[in-house]
Amino acid sequence: MVLKVYADRMSQPSRAVIIFCKMNGIDYEEIKVHISKGQHLTSEFAEINPMKQLPAIVDGRFKLFESHAILIYLACAFPGVADHWYPADVSRRSRIHSVLDWHHSNLRRGAAPYVFNTTIAPVLGRPLNPQAAAEAETILTSSLSKLESFWLKGNGRFLLGGNQPSIADLSLVCEIMQLEVLDEKDRARLLDPHKKVQQWIENTRNATSPHFDEVHKVLMKAKEQLQYQRLKAAKNEGGSYMKKPLPSRIWP
Amino acid sequence: MKLKVYADRMSQPARAVIIFCKLNGIDYEEVRVDISKLQHLTPEYSEINPMKQLPAIVDGRFKLFESHAILIYLACSYPGIPDHWYPADVCKRSEIHSVLDWHHSNLRRGPGIIYQNIISMPVIGRRFNPEAVAEGEKFLSASLSKIESFWLKDKGQFLLGGNKPSIADLSLVCDIMQLEVLDEADRDRLLGPYKKVEQWIENTRSAANPHFDEVHKILLKVKEKRQNLRLKGANNEGGGSAMKKPLLSRI
Repeated sequence: MVLKVYADRMSQPSRAVIIFCKMNGIDYEEIKVHISKGQHLTSEFAEINPMKQLPAIVDGRFKLFESHAILIYLACAFPGVADHWYPADVSRRSRIHSVLDWHHSNLRRGAAPYVFNTTIAPVLGRPLNPQAAAEAETILTSSLSKLESFWLKGNGRFLLGGNQPSIADLSLVCEIMQLEVLDEKDRARLLDPHKKVQQWIENTRNATSPHFDEVHKVLMKAKEQLQYQRLKAAKNEGGSYMKKPLPSRIWP
Repeated sequence: MKLKVYADRMSQPARAVIIFCKLNGIDYEEVRVDISKLQHLTPEYSEINPMKQLPAIVDGRFKLFESHAILIYLACSYPGIPDHWYPADVCKRSEIHSVLDWHHSNLRRGPGIIYQNIISMPVIGRRFNPEAVAEGEKFLSASLSKIESFWLKDKGQFLLGGNKPSIADLSLVCDIMQLEVLDEADRDRLLGPYKKVEQWIENTRSAANPHFDEVHKILLKVKEKRQNLRLKGANNEGGGSAMKKPLLSRI
């Protein structure tokens, strides 16, 4: 029975798992669960993941959720996965655990709510929340700083001084890619100060080509449509698009 | 060179690491970093952990922070550690990763926030935030519900149907123990609905004793002090139970 990956490519951790499978030749069936249509909230999906979140996997009778746990499981359970993804060496592996844990309370806690509360919320029929956005922005900028000054210090091309990517690079870069849907000026304001971060994103993208771009196509389509709506609104009203709710067809 | 564990026993994840070391006979030196005196914010401590958080370890030349990463490192690096703490079986191990990850975004956002606002922020001169406490309570109830109905759903005494504790039990129970500093009525209101959770806390405590109680002594001292202050306050105001008043109004 082939591995099943329950995913929505608009979900950052879903993309990390899919790219990992493709990079490592893991045979899988992708089952699309559309967040924008509330499919993750159905009782059917609750059988797969009672936490109602994506991604989740089913491998035979074994079910698993939480993307870091999934990436580690796949790295250990499937043959031929190169060591650099999740090294056997205890110290190197521990450092990967360390950055993956830091991610939960830092980059993820900043990037995801910032994008949601400035851009995505109206698409899903929820109000924009400027206060939550401001709080998330503080965490996001602090996290990007920490990536620039600590996690990417030294001469390596990847996190923790690595010269090849690990599951941590995949997870964190997929998270930052969500910023693509922001207004260009906003995205530039957040990312421009961090040259190492920008280079690292590019390194990770190249190392996982062509799968990285292919899996991010959906996000890039959403980005295009949002940009178009912003231009349209700016032309029509001479003002910010932000106050108008965005049509739900922007979310693929 | 002995393992160094940088810890403050008022910190939930620090306690989990210390208890694990004691239970498994790991030879270590506990280096106390007092959060209430802001010692975690010094440049000296930043050399150990640039994120300025506890716990952290130094094992020879190897430095590590984030308690889950530390627990896993210790379970893998030190000899003679029973398999149940961090099983070699890939599926069992993955399930432990799954609950540890879930913890970050769920339970961890409950007791800690409540505790920080009630105890540690006033101590360091920062204002308590009622919205943060309300949100902390929300996360806490939702998380306890999920532990009761899902993580403890099978017949075992511990998370994921286990009959022996894992690092996940230690980590999550130490977090919930932070609620001990609240007054009895509040603690009962928050934990009372969850019978399986209460039993599981007791199971973990028994499995990890006498170290569990010894490492939690400092927390229980803070609880006693606060109880005495409350009694004193109640006596001065002419008695009457504060028991029914919501948490926020009595902080």
